[in-house]
Amino acid sequence: MEFNLSRSVSSVLVRDSSNQSVESPEYPPELARLPPGRHGLPREFVAHNQRERLIAGLAEAVAESGYAGTTIAHITRHAAVSRRTFYEHFSSKDECFVAAYDTVMAELRTRVGEAFDHEDEWPQAVRAGIAAMLEFLTAEPHLARLSMVEALVAGPVVVERYDSAIQSLVPYFQAGREGRSKEILAGLSPTTEEALVGGMVSLISRRIFADRTDELESLLPDLVEFTLTPYLGSAAAAKVARG
Amino acid sequence: MLSGQSPRPVLDCLVNRLSVFWYLNGIRSSPRTSPRSDSGTVPFVGSNSTRRPLPGRQQLPREFIAQHQRLRIVTALAEETAQQGYRAVTVADIVRRAGIARNTFYENFSCKEECFLATQEFAMSAALERVVTAAGSLDDWPFRIRAGLGAFLDYVVEEPALARTCMVEALSAGTAAVRYYEESQQAFVSLFRLGRDVSPHGADLPETLEEAIIGGVFWILYQRLTISRPETIRELLPELVEFALTPYLGPEAAGEVATADAAGGVGAAPAG
Repeated sequence: MEFNLSRSVSSVLVRDSSNQSVESPEYPPELARLPPGRHGLPREFVAHNQRERLIAGLAEAVAESGYAGTTIAHITRHAAVSRRTFYEHFSSKDECFVAAYDTVMAELRTRVGEAFDHEDEWPQAVRAGIAAMLEFLTAEPHLARLSMVEALVAGPVVVERYDSAIQSLVPYFQAGREGRSKEILAGLSPTTEEALVGGMVSLISRRIFADRTDELESLLPDLVEFTLTPYLGSAAAAKVARG
Repeated sequence: MLSGQSPRPVLDCLVNRLSVFWYLNGIRSSPRTSPRSDSGTVPFVGSNSTRRPLPGRQQLPREFIAQHQRLRIVTALAEETAQQGYRAVTVADIVRRAGIARNTFYENFSCKEECFLATQEFAMSAALERVVTAAGSLDDWPFRIRAGLGAFLDYVVEEPALARTCMVEALSAGTAAVRYYEESQQAFVSLFRLGRDVSPHGADLPETLEEAIIGGVFWILYQRLTISRPETIRELLPELVEFALTPYLGPEAAGEVATADAAGGVGAAPAG
């Protein structure tokens, strides 16, 4: 099980780091997008980059013992590097966690952004973006927990990043104001997008806290309807929600 | 035009829950008669002297508070938490601010976590009491929501440290705190769900709607609390009311409730 998690973590991290590494003659390009655990990439495929190994090691350790229960010894053991090496890259557990958090969020942002940009119409783009987010969190439950549950106990730097990450979703919804009628715009307020994003994240976060990531994808219709209704009206929003 | 079913069973249930909290905590929360000008520090907390209470209406509550150690301790935890975040707070910090002996802390709580839970319960039951009282004084559901939301915002503004405990710090304070946070959200969900009976399309509303509305309101308040601008919170009431009611009533009706005057101009029949 430890090795599978390493693969799933490393598959995310390896994809993210410098956009290389999974493109090599023995591993055809299609393997780069395989879901974790099925492609059988050997552990040494996690970049010989020590920093990445430490980040992956932290993710594994936190998955095992929670943030509070994780020690630097755990991290270095999972990463198969020395304690001294740890301190060459990070000055503390918190700092290592920040790096791990940033890595996971970068991947999530990429997937959401790509899914959103792929659609021509804004309502469908929102649906695609939310679907991509839910898909990622479902496929990577340990990383979901790391970024949404453990992040809250990992120190003020991470909490601030967490808050910014949520706020960074606001522009996706603000884009929905473009071209709306006066009536629709009159029904929106300066805090509408913040409230929509906060509501959406609270539904997602609650299920991750309760270890019910298997329920996340079933939230899609409700989340789409909830977030699109202020811009489209409930009937049109419900239609997009059902896909 | 807008008629609401009586939410009495739900409100009664909430009041019963509050009574249990009060019993368990041994703390009676007395409604404030005037807004605080300080940051919520009870005058006796933090001082070993037996200062005389000020004469006037607030005399009894303050004297009661002075003798009530648990309240002093939870207030101190809330203030320390607001200042440095829960993770950094120590029992030493708490006893110093509360002006009590370390032994006294341990007579009341076995550890910081237990104290946090008591603080959270105290704060949330105080907030809920206000919400239920305000909502219970009106007949129409939309105006109950407006009154309840207003009361909640008032609480957050008047007791920012305690509000932070429940709304900002709770999710990082351990499993029991998270569980309690979830239960509190459920209490609000019950109040909102009544809107389905007054909504023309109540049957079609998404199952998770109440959760999402409350999550959204909490998120906005959380943002204001974390950047320490609680004074801006009251201004948000009309837009929060509109946000909360629009899914049930549509934007026009929601807007009317949001901007109605305090006497409840549009079709409402406030009691008393």
